Amino acid sequence: MNAPDLSAAAPPLATEYFDGQRPVAQAVTLRIDGGDLLIEGPGLSRRVPRRQLRWPERQRHGARLMYLPQHGLISHGDGAGWDAWTSAQGLRDPWVVRWMQSWRGVLWALLACVLLAAAFWQWGVPWAGRAVVAAIPASVDQSIGEQALASFDREGLNPSQLSADQQAAIRRAFAAAVERAYPAAERPAYTLNFRSAGRMKIGPNAFALPGGQMVLTDELAVLLADAPDVTTGVLAHELGHVRHRHGMRTVVQAGLLAGLAGLVVGDFSSVLATVPAVLGQQAYARDFEREADQEAIVVLRANGVRPSQMVVLFDRLSDWRQRQGHGDITELPIAVADHPADAERTRAFRDADSAR
Amino acid sequence: MHDPNAEHRGGPDAFADTQPSTLDLPATGPQRLNVEFTGSGSEYFRIWLVNLLLSIVTLSLYRPFAKARRLAYFHGNTLVGGQPLGFHGDPWKMLRGYLLMVLFGVVYFASGRFSPIAAGVAFVCFALLWPALWRASLQFRLANTSWRGLRFGFHGSLGGAYRSMLPAFLPWLGLILVGMLMPRPDAQSAAPVAPSPWLMSLLGLFFVAMLLVFPLSLSWVKRYQHGHYRYAGEQTQLDAGTGRFYTFALKVFGVSLVAMIVAGIFFAVLMAASFAGGAKGSAPAPWVVPLMVLGSLGMYAIYFALMLPFAQSRLQNLVWGHTRSQALRCHSELKLWPLGSLTLKNLFLVIITLGLYWPFAAIATARLRLSAISIDLDGDLSQWQAHAANGQNDATGDAAGDFFGIDMGL
Repeated sequence: MNAPDLSAAAPPLATEYFDGQRPVAQAVTLRIDGGDLLIEGPGLSRRVPRRQLRWPERQRHGARLMYLPQHGLISHGDGAGWDAWTSAQGLRDPWVVRWMQSWRGVLWALLACVLLAAAFWQWGVPWAGRAVVAAIPASVDQSIGEQALASFDREGLNPSQLSADQQAAIRRAFAAAVERAYPAAERPAYTLNFRSAGRMKIGPNAFALPGGQMVLTDELAVLLADAPDVTTGVLAHELGHVRHRHGMRTVVQAGLLAGLAGLVVGDFSSVLATVPAVLGQQAYARDFEREADQEAIVVLRANGVRPSQMVVLFDRLSDWRQRQGHGDITELPIAVADHPADAERTRAFRDADSAR
Repeated sequence: MHDPNAEHRGGPDAFADTQPSTLDLPATGPQRLNVEFTGSGSEYFRIWLVNLLLSIVTLSLYRPFAKARRLAYFHGNTLVGGQPLGFHGDPWKMLRGYLLMVLFGVVYFASGRFSPIAAGVAFVCFALLWPALWRASLQFRLANTSWRGLRFGFHGSLGGAYRSMLPAFLPWLGLILVGMLMPRPDAQSAAPVAPSPWLMSLLGLFFVAMLLVFPLSLSWVKRYQHGHYRYAGEQTQLDAGTGRFYTFALKVFGVSLVAMIVAGIFFAVLMAASFAGGAKGSAPAPWVVPLMVLGSLGMYAIYFALMLPFAQSRLQNLVWGHTRSQALRCHSELKLWPLGSLTLKNLFLVIITLGLYWPFAAIATARLRLSAISIDLDGDLSQWQAHAANGQNDATGDAAGDFFGIDMGL
């Protein structure tokens, strides 16, 4: 509380004082005397500089407790009486307290909370994710990617059944396409691995791991055997993930989101704190897919291929799913999970033909 | 009358020879101090929301201040024998502790994401520090809580904290050992190596041991915690034997079992009906899926209305009902149904208001749980004196308590 020093004239307040040594209330009166608070009672006179006091915050319920330095406190049961006395002294509540007393202020705070949370979600976390990932050396990506691939291999990816010629053809076509699309300085390093889906049951698929480890399943290579440009587009999409370090950013952004949510609302509810982390994971993953699709479009155009060719991929994948007998879910194409709806992506590839 | 303790007091207000007026002290002799809670949901909502906004704007740096305000509000509205509790914590000191814990947390999180070995090391460090942090958190909280101007204290020793956590730690140690003995997957051969059956049974044994040891470790932890609270010359003790904790655990297990069996029968009947209804291979009847969903929701409801409140109320009654000192004797009579229906109502309203009901729920829960407690006092308060050295004031411990979700069981 900060206040002009006005009134020695205001009447003293009768209240209770505890000296901090014995649990016994003493009847005292409070008086502001210059820069000091004067506590006076039978056989007791204590003078405390006002800036050393911790004034109780205004509230409708509960007693007002004023903490004195070192030891002792004033306990006043009648909140309204206390407020009348402090305002008679010309003391004003701090702005935070006045804010909390006003319903209108609180509703504005609610609105601000929602807007800020949305802004953090939309811009803050992705920006911070990019900044953090930029500070992580590429060697970390490398070792995480290698470990992840090794664990996929253990969990059920099988060695590729494609012939050496088939593999070499895909490699050559893709390497040439990348060379045409990016100048040497911007060309991300990558390793293309061929695997058969095996026990992992991921079907026709391709995915990218941190550090440039890319995997193409035999099933997808066969599905697109007559459309090498589409295969190149799929790999260019994965290279987009590598180029933007999406794998690392997913980890960092999910962590940031969980950490922030935990710090801000974890105090109030730990269940509430996990919600944004789960939702965020999916939302950011969809953004990454869009970004990777844009890279695919860039590479295809640089090679004179119409991006709408990619529609073939979606048609064949959906045929394939029909043949498997289960309409959707589980087998998501091209990456591990969380793709935007196929329809939206097909449209993006189609529109890319005309837009220049 | 000369006060023999006058020279120990010091301070500007040492009042020489006068007897202070005792405003509100009842006559000496046995009396009951009721605990009431006078907080209001709508008022706490406003405190909570402004605190929340300030925490977001400051990237959570405001949190210690928010916490100090929250504790001051809850303490100030907790009346014991008509007098409120005080919270003396200095938010600036709490901020220091908070920053330290955030640093710890970031290191822990980062190490976990980037290297399993670093994560293991960090985890072991935390496990080793945990009892010390827990004790520091209790010391901070108690030393900054007062009643009638006298601060409480927590006087458990450091060694005692580690000893009390021993039964909780030992099974984990065994588990880590078994984990290290587990065969490493061979990088060369794709097929995973199956662990030998005796290793698996050892693992199972540790899980069973962990379950069996749980009531024991709970009783040790609670006995340490409730055995070292101090107020004036009073030192509390928890006189509930380990057997009571086993009875408690058995009851909780029994209630959960009954709930599981009921749910199991429900789902079994549902499955049987859906298979009997349609021909083989045809899709289940359209009413099965909604009933399944309803059944799952019912399980959640049972958990929140019965199992959780049952455990919470019995534990509060067990622990607080057996906490006493020479002149003080706590009682706790928290009933299952009021707590169960309140928990269910809170859950429902928190969900449909997207969390905005939370502060109301917190206040209502505090009111119910606190008002179940009362304290018998047999002694003359006016003769009580603050305990000499008033404990430590390390705010790091407080933040640590937050970090680990340590609370007072209330």
